[in-house]
Amino acid sequence: MTDSIFDRLRRGASPVELELTEAFAQGRITRRAFVQRGSVIGLSVAFMGSVIAACGSDGKSKTATSSSSTLASTTAASTTAAGTAAAGAIKKGGTLRIAAQKPAGPLDPVAMADLGTYTPVVTAFEYLVDILGAEVKPMLAESWKPNADGSVWTFSLRKGVKWHDGTAFTAADVVATMDRLSASNLKAYIKAGSTKAIDDFTVEITLNNPDGQFPQQVGAYNPQSVITPKDYVLGTTLDKRMTGTGAFKMTKYDPAIGATFEANTDWWGGKPYLDKLEFLFSEDIATQIAGLQGGAADAIVQFSVLGGDALLSDSNMVVETIHGSAHRQIWMNTREGNYTDVKVRQAIALGIDRPALIDTVLKGKGDIGNDHPISPIYPFFDATLPQRKRDVEKAKQLLKDAGKEGLEATMYFPNLQEIPQLAQLVQSQLKDIGMKVTLQQEKNVDGDEWCKVYDSKVEPAGCDGGMDFGIVDYGPRGVPDVYLVKAYATGEWNSAHYISEPFRAAVKKYQSSLDLDGQKAAIKDIQKIANTDVPYAIPYFYNTLFAHTKKVTGIVATGLGHFYCGKAGFTA
Amino acid sequence: MVRYLLRRLASAVVTLWLLATIVFLIVSVLPGDVGRRVLGPFALKEDVARYNHQIGTDRPLIRQYLTTIRRLFTLDFGNSYQTASSVNKIIFPALFRSGKLALLAFVITIPISIAAGIFAARRQDKPSDRIVVTTGLASSSIPEFVTAAVLLSVFSVHWRLGKVFANPPDGTSVIGQFRYLIMPALAMVVAYFGYITRMSRAGVIHGLQSDYARTATMKGLSKGEVMRRHILRNALAPTITVISVQIGYLFGGIIGVEKVFNYAGLGSTMLNAVTHKDIPVLQAAVLLVGVVYMSSTLLADVLIAFLNPRVRLETTR
Repeated sequence: MTDSIFDRLRRGASPVELELTEAFAQGRITRRAFVQRGSVIGLSVAFMGSVIAACGSDGKSKTATSSSSTLASTTAASTTAAGTAAAGAIKKGGTLRIAAQKPAGPLDPVAMADLGTYTPVVTAFEYLVDILGAEVKPMLAESWKPNADGSVWTFSLRKGVKWHDGTAFTAADVVATMDRLSASNLKAYIKAGSTKAIDDFTVEITLNNPDGQFPQQVGAYNPQSVITPKDYVLGTTLDKRMTGTGAFKMTKYDPAIGATFEANTDWWGGKPYLDKLEFLFSEDIATQIAGLQGGAADAIVQFSVLGGDALLSDSNMVVETIHGSAHRQIWMNTREGNYTDVKVRQAIALGIDRPALIDTVLKGKGDIGNDHPISPIYPFFDATLPQRKRDVEKAKQLLKDAGKEGLEATMYFPNLQEIPQLAQLVQSQLKDIGMKVTLQQEKNVDGDEWCKVYDSKVEPAGCDGGMDFGIVDYGPRGVPDVYLVKAYATGEWNSAHYISEPFRAAVKKYQSSLDLDGQKAAIKDIQKIANTDVPYAIPYFYNTLFAHTKKVTGIVATGLGHFYCGKAGFTA
Repeated sequence: MVRYLLRRLASAVVTLWLLATIVFLIVSVLPGDVGRRVLGPFALKEDVARYNHQIGTDRPLIRQYLTTIRRLFTLDFGNSYQTASSVNKIIFPALFRSGKLALLAFVITIPISIAAGIFAARRQDKPSDRIVVTTGLASSSIPEFVTAAVLLSVFSVHWRLGKVFANPPDGTSVIGQFRYLIMPALAMVVAYFGYITRMSRAGVIHGLQSDYARTATMKGLSKGEVMRRHILRNALAPTITVISVQIGYLFGGIIGVEKVFNYAGLGSTMLNAVTHKDIPVLQAAVLLVGVVYMSSTLLADVLIAFLNPRVRLETTR
């Protein structure tokens, strides 16, 4: 890159933007990482394009390696909610019938807590940013920018957006939404009452702490952050006040049967191809799959490998795979009981045959884990950490060294998706290292009660029900903060009761880093510490699946209940 | 007859009160916190407490009980804990859907099984009788959800002759609705055919062997007339009683069939309410099924009284 071009580009850029641009120009980060990170901090496509073009001329930046891993699906049509449609001809019109999970609660955008409820809510409403693909793209906000330390973020809103009732979308709606979230879902992030409308289309949000990843909190991986109109208060539900800014507007809702949405012809992303969406609710996946195969539905929002064999082997169906960060943690109480010695935990991690688990439990639909919660999909993932492989002899030796030969253990696990099967396989694999594992399915109790059962006197009070060995599930997240903070660094969901000052320091460093280099350095430490200390053995990151018939194209899904059909339709 | 009806209605009210009390006691001992279940495991404790206060589950049990009884008489069951919408808007459409399915199942089952019962009774111990009895026994010993699953995978998924999801979309014509409901209805037909056939066969055999049938035959009446005017009237009484009990079951008990065909009837509504500890919906749905049971048995008793003069005379005393 010539100095003159670079000087021109950096004129007016903030320190954060400048740092990122320089990192790319000097070849310290790949083009893909530059675009991903640049999109989070709000660099415009035009700016990034100029930088890439300029750097390309001197060949300093490395070409991104191709990868199929993305947070959201990469269908042939698009990776964004309002992205460009597939090049193939799509018919105009038609009703897309979608088999979906029955909502377990009211359609309350703030209180919702299950995939079934997310689906209709996120079909009507949209987010400030679009994080459906690998990059963060504009949605209701056209651009965003942090201040120098990342504690204040300014969002410029899209003009000309209308609510489904025809009224204009303005900054007042965003302020009301953020105020509501600052008292609930984003309490930890947004300073209460701090969100200000600078003008009708500019909003400034002040955070409790600097956060270089804040846009991730107002996108699809925090579904409760959908932007609702200013008259929405805590407890207002979508079915009582049908509105939104999305490509489809709700016209009918029956929690027992389904929901109907009509195309929003005024949608800012352009008129949808489809006339109508019909969500057909059902409690269980088997019924939904039967519906799809029997012609009652054209698509299914989500299904798992377990029970989904029929679809995986059906040549009439298109099964889409979403690589993500969702995983299972095999937790061991690091503070008291049989697992306080790190050798025991390492032995268990070495006793697990990860590729076999992925092949058997997930039928190959998963990415290998390395005992830390950083999925390979994240731009700061450190691939240099050696992959832990099964080593039965070494595991036996470690158990012997720790004086735990022939260790007997009871493993607790929830009756959720593939977890019972995983538990059985882990039980049989650990037999090879001399462990005798008894399986115990957890009682179906509510979150709080489950945590209350905890009986340890040792801090931190983790949420493990008083047991010392088990499996717990974690869903997909756009950034790993929840895993790092809640499962590892604090006591809230810390089943392993893990306390590590170096780990906490690394997490703090990661969260306060505004530049990718800083994040990469912190994440490198995080991965290494977690992998060495093994409070949790993480065998895999499982893929999320959805399916549709061959005549459907253009659906964008996330594995978190989103099923964007703004550019979807039937093939001609 | 009027006094008889009034007496029955009075006992129905007492039964409903007992039912409401039992349901209340049962749901009160169900484990789990309603607010936590509705708002999810990650909701803040304060929000859970506020929600519980809002819906009244933090009040003393006796006050909650009085609310339940008041609702029973005002027919205002409040709002669903799960969906926040009116309970009446949930249970009455579900009742209507169950009613449609039950009606179709009975319209098919009753004539076929009564005819089969008469046919078998008249050929008692002959091969054709054996075939009817064995078929009936076999069909009624298959659990209805198994029949439903087979019908679904063979006829709906593989051959696409029926619908996989039995809820007809709005505006579907009567004929169209028949296509949606026929598969779950057939699953029920298979389950009840044997039962009703056996009852009617036994009743007819008993009638054929009775003195009044012999007398009627000796008077010179044709076989058909003896059957129609004398035997059937007596033979059908136990069959009607069986059917009336089955009506209540068809409204609330065919959860398996409803689940397989994803049909939003009263059975799956109740199951869903139990799963989500949606007490208002559960109470209302159970009471509704209770009302259906009582109405159908009352209707059966009136029908039997109409068919059988002896019963009629007893009720007027």
